[in-house]
Amino acid sequence: MSTEAIAAERPKRNYNALFGLTLLALLVLLWVILSVATPSFASANNISNLLRQGSMIAILAVGQTFVIITGGIDLSVGAVVGFATVIVAMLINAGVPIYLAILITLLVGVAIGLFHGFGIVKMGLPPFIITLATLTSLRGIGLLMTNGNSISINNDAFQLFSRSSFLGVPNLFWMVILVGIPAYIFLHHSRWGRYLFSVGSNAEASRLSGVNVQRTIYMAYTLSGLCAAFVGVLLASRIGIGNPTQAEGWELQAIASSVIGGTSLFGAVGSVHGPLLGAFILATINNGANLLNVNAFWQRIITGVLIIVIVYFDGLRRRGK
Amino acid sequence: MTSTAQELHPAPTLEPGRTILELKGLEKRYPGTHALKPVNLAFKASEIHAIVGENGAGKSTLIKLLTGVMPRTSGDVIWEGKPAALATPHEAMALGINAVHQEVVLCRHLTVAANMFLGEEDSRFGILQQRAMVREAQKIIDDLGFDLPAHVVLGDLTIGQQQLIAAARATVRGTKFLIFDEPTAYLTRKEADQLFTLIRRLKGEGVTIIYISHRMEEVFELADRVSVLRDGTLVGTRNIAETNDAELVKMMINRSIEQVYHKEHFIPGATLLEARNLSGKGFENVSMTIRAGEIVGLYGLIGAGRSEFVTTLYGRHRKSAGQILWKGKEVQVNSEHDAIKLGMALAPESRRDQGLCLNLPVGLNLNLPIYKRISSNLLISSAQEKTEADRQIANLRIKTPTRHALASSLSGGNQQKIVIGKWLAHGAKLFIFDEPTVGVDVGTKAEIYRLFGELLSKGAGIILISSYLPEVYELADTLHVFRRGKLVATHGFHTADHEEILTQALAEKQEKPGGQI
Repeated sequence: MSTEAIAAERPKRNYNALFGLTLLALLVLLWVILSVATPSFASANNISNLLRQGSMIAILAVGQTFVIITGGIDLSVGAVVGFATVIVAMLINAGVPIYLAILITLLVGVAIGLFHGFGIVKMGLPPFIITLATLTSLRGIGLLMTNGNSISINNDAFQLFSRSSFLGVPNLFWMVILVGIPAYIFLHHSRWGRYLFSVGSNAEASRLSGVNVQRTIYMAYTLSGLCAAFVGVLLASRIGIGNPTQAEGWELQAIASSVIGGTSLFGAVGSVHGPLLGAFILATINNGANLLNVNAFWQRIITGVLIIVIVYFDGLRRRGK
Repeated sequence: MTSTAQELHPAPTLEPGRTILELKGLEKRYPGTHALKPVNLAFKASEIHAIVGENGAGKSTLIKLLTGVMPRTSGDVIWEGKPAALATPHEAMALGINAVHQEVVLCRHLTVAANMFLGEEDSRFGILQQRAMVREAQKIIDDLGFDLPAHVVLGDLTIGQQQLIAAARATVRGTKFLIFDEPTAYLTRKEADQLFTLIRRLKGEGVTIIYISHRMEEVFELADRVSVLRDGTLVGTRNIAETNDAELVKMMINRSIEQVYHKEHFIPGATLLEARNLSGKGFENVSMTIRAGEIVGLYGLIGAGRSEFVTTLYGRHRKSAGQILWKGKEVQVNSEHDAIKLGMALAPESRRDQGLCLNLPVGLNLNLPIYKRISSNLLISSAQEKTEADRQIANLRIKTPTRHALASSLSGGNQQKIVIGKWLAHGAKLFIFDEPTVGVDVGTKAEIYRLFGELLSKGAGIILISSYLPEVYELADTLHVFRRGKLVATHGFHTADHEEILTQALAEKQEKPGGQI
C-alpha cells in the first residue's frame, strides 16, 4: 500500500522539475531555430542586446511573482519604472552623488510598495484596485514633475554602466543574477518565503498558525516596488533620460513572464527561475521576430497565443496530479 | 419550471422492496491506488441504506461513481433493470439520482429561493419570476416543516440551515435516489431532527436514500440496512435489526468500541489559564480555569458562544470586559501571535477555511508555526525541516506518501491530524480543539483521542469544544455547558447524565434563523 503510494508520488515531483526544464528547453529550442533561420541572431552583439532587453522585465517579473504568490497582483510596476527614471535623473542632474541618487530612488520604490501594503491591509482595498490607482497617478505625478518633458541625464559614467559588459556578459544581465540569487534564497530557503506561500494559500490558517499576515503582505509589495525602482534606475542608465511615460505596459509583460514561468494567479504556486525563463522567452520571441522582419503587430499576437498555450499546458499538468 | 407542492415529490415508480439500483463488480482505480474494489450491492426501492466506513474506505468514491462525477474503471450499474453509463452528473440527475454533500455546494450570495431553483428558474419571456419563485420555495420549505425564510440570502443562514436547504433542493428535482453524505456534521440536534423527518418522509414517498455517516446512533435511528466499507472493499451488508454498534465498528476498523474513547485520568497540575468574568462578542461573563493535565470540555449548540469564547482567549477577537490570566499573571492577548507566544495553540473548527494551506505540501503545513525556530537567522535548516515534518508524520501516523504531497490530496481525517500535529512540535502548553472530529472516522477519532492522552501526560491542558455530546462526555474532566453566550452549568467527569446536559444546552425558546424578525 505505502510503497505503491510512494511510487505514485515520484513521477509527480519529476514532472515539476520537468516543467522547469521544459521552459529551458523551449528557450534553447528558440535559440537554435533562430540561429539557423537568421545569421544575425547568434552574433555576440545580438545576444548581448537580447540579454539587455530581457533583463529588465526579468527583474520586474521576480518582484511581481512575490506578490502573485500571496494571491495579489501589482499593476503599478511599469509606472514605478517610469517614475523612478524621473527621480534618478532629477537627482543626478541636481548633483547628488550617483550612489546616493540610486539609493534614494530605491527607497521611493520601497515607499510605493509600503503604500500598496497599507492600502490592502489597512484600507481593505483589493490589490488590483490600489495598484491600478498607483499606475495611473504615478504617471501623472511624473508628468507634473517634468512638465511632460524628458530629462536628459548629464552623467556619462551613469549611462556607461548599462552599456558595459563584465566578463563578456552585459552588466544588465549581471543585475538579473544579482537580484535572482538572493530572491531564490529568500523565496525557497527562508521562512519569509514560506510565509508568502502560506498566506497565498490560506491567510486565515496562516494567521492562526502565528504567521504575521499583514507584515507578509507589506513585504511582498515592498519587494515588488523595490525591484521596479531598481529597473527604473537601470532603464534610466540605458536610455539616458528620465521620462515618466517610459515602460508603458511593462507590468503586463512582467505578469506574463511570471505566469509563463508557472506562477499561479490564484496564489501559492511560483518560483524565481520560472519568471526569469519566462521573461527571456518573451524577449527572444520579440528579438527573433524583429530579425525575421515579422510585422511588429504579429509579435503581440504571438505573445498572446504563447501565453494561452503555455498556461493551458501548465494547467493540464497540475490537474493531471 | 412551475412546480406545485404536488409535484415536489416523485411518485414511486417501483413498489417498495424491488431493486432500483444494482452494482455489479463496480470498481475504481486511480493511479497508484485501488480506491474501490469490485462491489456487488443492490439497493431496494424506498429503503434507507446506510453506508459506514472510515475515511478513505471508499465511500466518497462510491458516491462519485453513482452521481456521475467520475467514470468507473469497470463493472456495471443497473438502474431500474437497464444498464446505465452514469458518465456525467447530468445523466445521473436525469435518472433521478441526486446527492446532498457534507459541505454545502450552493451559491452563498444568492437567496434561498434562487438556490432552490438554480438551473431550473421560472421565467416568462426571459424575465425571471422572482416573486413566484420565492412563494414557491417558501411553500416547499414550509411543507417540509423547516422554519426558514425563502427570501433571505443563503449565506446569512447557519451552515446547518444551509444544509437543510440543500436537502430541500434535492427533493424538488424528481429524485428517486438520494444520497446524503455526512449531512449532520454541522447540524444542531434540532436541525438534524428536521432532516431526519424529511428523510423518513421521502422514504414514505418511495425515494431510496443512501445515508453516509460516522455517527452510529444516526444509522440505528434511521436506516433499514447498513453496508460497511473498509479499505475499498465491501465488508458486508446487514439488516439494521440484526446488528449492533459493536459489530459495525468491528467490521469497520477491526477494533472494539471501548478502545475508541480512550480516557486516561491524570492528577491536574498547576493552573495554566484562567478566565475571570470574561465578556466579548457572542458571550458574556464566563469564568473558568484550565489546569495542566486536564481536559476542559465546552458543550453547547453551534452559536452558543463557545467558539467565540476560545477565539477571544486566542486573541482573535477583543474582550470587552474581564481578565485573562496565564499561569497566575494577568495578560493582554491582542493577537494570535501573543497567544502563541504564551504557549497556546488552536486547532480551528473548519480545517478547510482556517486550518490548512490545502495547496501546499504536508511538510510546510506541519512546520508553519515553528519556522522561526528551525531557521537560523534568515535561512531555514532544511535538515531540521525534514526531521520535524517526518517526525510528526510518523508520530501521528499521517497517511501521506511523503511530506511533499499536497495537503489537499489527503483524506479528511489525515488533514485533521496535520491541523493538530503542527502544534505538537511547537511546544504549546494549552491546546484548544474546536470540533476536532467533525467528519472524521472512528479510527482517526481514536487516534486523536490517544493523542490527547499523550499531550496531557506531558503536562499540557486541553480545551475541547464539541457539539457531539458523547465525545465531551467521555473525555472531559470538567464539562462546561454553554447556552446563548452564557456558561450555564459545570459538571465533573460523568457527574451528570446526557439528558441533564442536553436540557441545559438546549434553549427553552426556539431559535429563529437568519436574523429575521
